[in-house]
Amino acid sequence: MNLLKISRKYHRYLMLFLGVQFVIWTVSGAYMVIFDIDYIHGDTLVHNHQTKIAPDDVHYSLTQLIQTYPKAEQLELGMLIDKPVYRFKQGDEQHMLDAGTGAMLSPLPKAYAQAIAQHEYTGTGNIALIELITDNPPFELSGRHLPAWRVNFNDFGSPSLYISALTGKVVTKRHEFWRTFDLMFSLHVMDYEEEDPSNWLLFWFVCFALLACLFGLILTYYRIFKDDAVKPTAQGSSGQNEGVSS
Amino acid sequence: MNSNVMGKIKFLHKWLSLLVGIQLLLWIGTGLYFNLMDSQKARGTQYLAKSAPVSVDDTDKPAQIEPATLLNSFKPAVSLSQVTLLDKPYYLLTYDRALYPYFKNHYTLIDAITGKQVMIDQTMAKGLAVNSYKGPGIITSASRVSPPFDERLKEKNTLWRVNFDDEINTSVYIDAGSGRLVGHSNDDKRIVDIAFMLHFMDYTNEGSFNNVQIIVFAIFTLFFAFTGFIWTIELGLNGQYSLTQLLPKRLIKKQNNTIQVIDIDGQQLRHVSIPAHENLLDGLIHQDIALPSSCGGGGSCGRCRVKLKPEAKITACDNQQFTQDELNLGYRLACQHTSDEVDSLSLLDITQAEKHQLELISSEFISPFIKELRFKTVSSKPITFKAGAFMRFFIPAASSHSLPVALPESLSSHWNEIESHQFTHDSCSRNYSLANSDHALPDAENELHFTIKLQQAPKFAISQVINPGVGSHYICNLQPGDRIEAAGPFEEFSAQPISKRSMVLIGAGSGMAPLKSLIEEQLVKLKSTRPIHLFFGARSEADLIYQERFTTLAIEHKHFFYYPVLSRPTGLFNGSNPTSISITNHDASAHSRVNSGPTQGYVQDRLAAQLDEISKQAEGLANVEFYLCGPKPMMTSTIEQLKARGVKESAIAFDSFV
Repeated sequence: MNLLKISRKYHRYLMLFLGVQFVIWTVSGAYMVIFDIDYIHGDTLVHNHQTKIAPDDVHYSLTQLIQTYPKAEQLELGMLIDKPVYRFKQGDEQHMLDAGTGAMLSPLPKAYAQAIAQHEYTGTGNIALIELITDNPPFELSGRHLPAWRVNFNDFGSPSLYISALTGKVVTKRHEFWRTFDLMFSLHVMDYEEEDPSNWLLFWFVCFALLACLFGLILTYYRIFKDDAVKPTAQGSSGQNEGVSS
Repeated sequence: MNSNVMGKIKFLHKWLSLLVGIQLLLWIGTGLYFNLMDSQKARGTQYLAKSAPVSVDDTDKPAQIEPATLLNSFKPAVSLSQVTLLDKPYYLLTYDRALYPYFKNHYTLIDAITGKQVMIDQTMAKGLAVNSYKGPGIITSASRVSPPFDERLKEKNTLWRVNFDDEINTSVYIDAGSGRLVGHSNDDKRIVDIAFMLHFMDYTNEGSFNNVQIIVFAIFTLFFAFTGFIWTIELGLNGQYSLTQLLPKRLIKKQNNTIQVIDIDGQQLRHVSIPAHENLLDGLIHQDIALPSSCGGGGSCGRCRVKLKPEAKITACDNQQFTQDELNLGYRLACQHTSDEVDSLSLLDITQAEKHQLELISSEFISPFIKELRFKTVSSKPITFKAGAFMRFFIPAASSHSLPVALPESLSSHWNEIESHQFTHDSCSRNYSLANSDHALPDAENELHFTIKLQQAPKFAISQVINPGVGSHYICNLQPGDRIEAAGPFEEFSAQPISKRSMVLIGAGSGMAPLKSLIEEQLVKLKSTRPIHLFFGARSEADLIYQERFTTLAIEHKHFFYYPVLSRPTGLFNGSNPTSISITNHDASAHSRVNSGPTQGYVQDRLAAQLDEISKQAEGLANVEFYLCGPKPMMTSTIEQLKARGVKESAIAFDSFV
C-alpha cells in the first residue's frame, strides 16, 4: 500500500470517530472569534457612569470613621448613584457608609439594588426578577461576590446584572451570548465541569486529531500537487515516474 | 444525496484543505500544547511573592489628610482610594474609571500624609518590583514603557518594566500611574504567548482573538469541517467503513464471496473468490484481474469501470463518473462496491487484463537509447489486444547498473557521458505500450513487442548520484529466456471504430510504440486501405527508429505516407543546404512517399506544411482522425495547431509521457 492509500484509509477512519468533535471545535471556535469579547463580557450592558464626587457633600470625616471603625482598611470614597459613600473592610467584613451622614448602608435592601440596576443598565427592558443570592451562586457568578442581588431584565439576550449587596457595585454582568460562550468554551476544551484544558479526554482527541490532520495534509499534497504524477497514462515507451525514481 | 451536490462538497473539501490545512495543524498542535503545559508556569508567576497583609501599628499611624479636603485641591474625581505602596499610605484619585484595570484609566497618586502628588519614579518602581519578587535574581534594568506591550497585549496604560537576571528572565510590570502590580512575565510565559499568538492567529499582536484573519479562517474551517462531516456520513451510508478493513487480517475469520466474472462479450470467464467486505478493485487484483486505477480506490479517477446489475446501488462517485444511461445499464466503479453486494460482474474496458508470465525472446538496440524487446507468454497462450494497449510490468526489487549490459561497440560513444555506478531499487510497476499488433507478422505471431527507452538520470545532478530509471534499466537488461510478470492488456489509447477516414499519426522521441502498433494493426491485420500519414520526429539519424520498416511499408502501401523529421541531423545533409530539401509542396510529398528521406525541423512544422494537402485528399479536416504520442511540448503545440485549424477535440487522441 502506498502513502496515498494509507493516508486516505486512516484519514477516513480517524474522522469517523473524530468528525463530530471537529465540527464542535470549529463551531465553538467560530462562535468565540466572531463575537467580540467585550460584547460577550457584557460591557455594552452598563453605562459605567463617571459621576464625580462633590466634596461639599462629604460631611462625615475620615477621622470620625476611624473613631467608630478603628480597624478600617482598603478604604475608598466613591459614588453610589448620586451619593458619596465610604467603602471599607474591617476584618473580613465589607461595609458601606453614607459619606454625608455616616449611616450604614450595607447590606443594601432590594429597592436600592433595583435603583442601582436601573441606573447602570443601558437597555430599555423592564426588570423581570430581583433576588438576593447569599449562597450557592449560579455558574455565572463567582462565590467571592456574595452576597449579591441578581437583577434580570426582560430584554434581548436575557441580561442579568449582579450587584454586590455590600458595595453596591455591579460585580458581574451576563447575557445569553456570554452563557453560550461559556458553553462553547467547555465544548472547545472538552471539559464540561471545570473548563480546564488539561484533561485526558482532550489529550487523546487532540493526539488523534493531529494524526488525522497530518494524513489529511498528505492527501491534499497528493490530490492537488501530485495529481499529474498520480495519473498514469499508457506510456509511449517510458515508464510512469521513470527518471528520478530510485 | 444528489451526486452533483456531493461532488461540490468534495471539491470544496479538497480546496479548503489547501487553504486552512496548515493553520488547522497549528491549531491542533498548540491545542495539544495548552493541554499539556504546566498552567502554573504559563502564568509567568513562578517568582511572584504573595503580598502579606500589612498590619499597621495604630499608635505609629500618622493622621491622613481628610479625603474631602484633598478632593478640593484636585480635579473632580469619581473615587478616592487608600493604597499602600512600600508600607507607605497613599490616596489614588481616579478621574475616569474604565471597566477593567487594564483599560485606559486616568488617575493621580497622592501622598496620604503630605497631600502632595507623587510620581512613580525608577527607584519606587524598582522597590515595588522587588516587593513582588521572591526569586534569586537582581534587577538589571528598569524602564518606563508605553503600550502596546508584547507581553501584556491587553494593557493600555503606561508601565514600568523591571527586568531581573534570574534563569527565566523575569520581567515585572508596574502601572506607572497607580503603582498597581500589573504582573510578572518570564521565558516560560513568553513561549505560552507564542502558542497563543499562533492559536489566535494574532499575527499583528492585537491581543485579541477577534481579529479579521481568524474570523475569515474560522468561517472557511467551518465549511471545511462540515463538508468533511457530510463526506464521512456519505462514506458510511455507502458501506465504506467496515471492521475488516481496520483490523489485522489474521484476526478476522476468513469468509469469501464467490463472484462470476463475465468478459466484455458476455462470455463467462470464471468464478473468483473475494473476501467478504473487500472492494471489487482490490479483490480482483488478487485474482489476477487488474483493473486500471490511478487514484488507488478513491473513486476519483473513474477508471476501474465494471458492469454490475442495473439495480446495484449508485454511490456519489458512480454518479460523477457515469452518465445516467450508463448507470441504468449497471456501469459502476469497482472500488466503490464490495464483494458482498454482487454475485456477478462484467469486465468492460479490458478483454483479458490479467497477470501473465512473459518470457523475453529478444532484446535489441534500435537506437543508442531505445531497445526493442520481444516477449511471449510462458503458457504460449496468445494475448489478444487492440493497438495502443499497454501492459503493466511488475519490476522486482533488484540491483542494477547505470550502463546497459551487452552494449554494442558502435553505440558505446553515446554512453560516454553516463557515469557508471551500481544501484539497488525497490519493487515497482511500470506501464509500457505495445509496439506491435496481435497477429501482425507471420514470423512474429503471438509476440508482444515493446520499444523502451533507457531513461537517464537528470543532468542537473552534480553533487549526488541519481539513479536512472529503474524500470527501463531492469527490463532492458533482461536476457533472452528471462521471465517477468505483467498484467494487461489495458486499452485506453486505441483507434476509433473502423472507418474510411484518414488517419494522421504524429509522434516523436520514444513515443513510437502505440503509433507503430496502430499502423501495423491497420495495414497488416485489418488490411485497411484508408489513407494513413505518419509524422515522426527524432533528434538525429541514429534516433530515427524503424526508418527502414516504415519506408518499406510506404513503398508497399500506396495509401501510407511516412514523413520522418530530424531536429539535429548529423551527417546526412553534409555539404548541401537543408532548406532546399525541405518539402513543402505536393510534388515533394509524392517524392517523400517513395523516398521517405528525413527532412530537418520539427514535426509540428512538417505537419503544418502538409495539412492542406491531407485535408484536400480527405475532403476536409473533419474527415481526419489524429493520433498523438510524444513529449509534452510537442503534443501541446500540435494540439493547439490542430485546434486553430478547426479540428474537433474528439478527433484528437493523445497519449503523453514524461
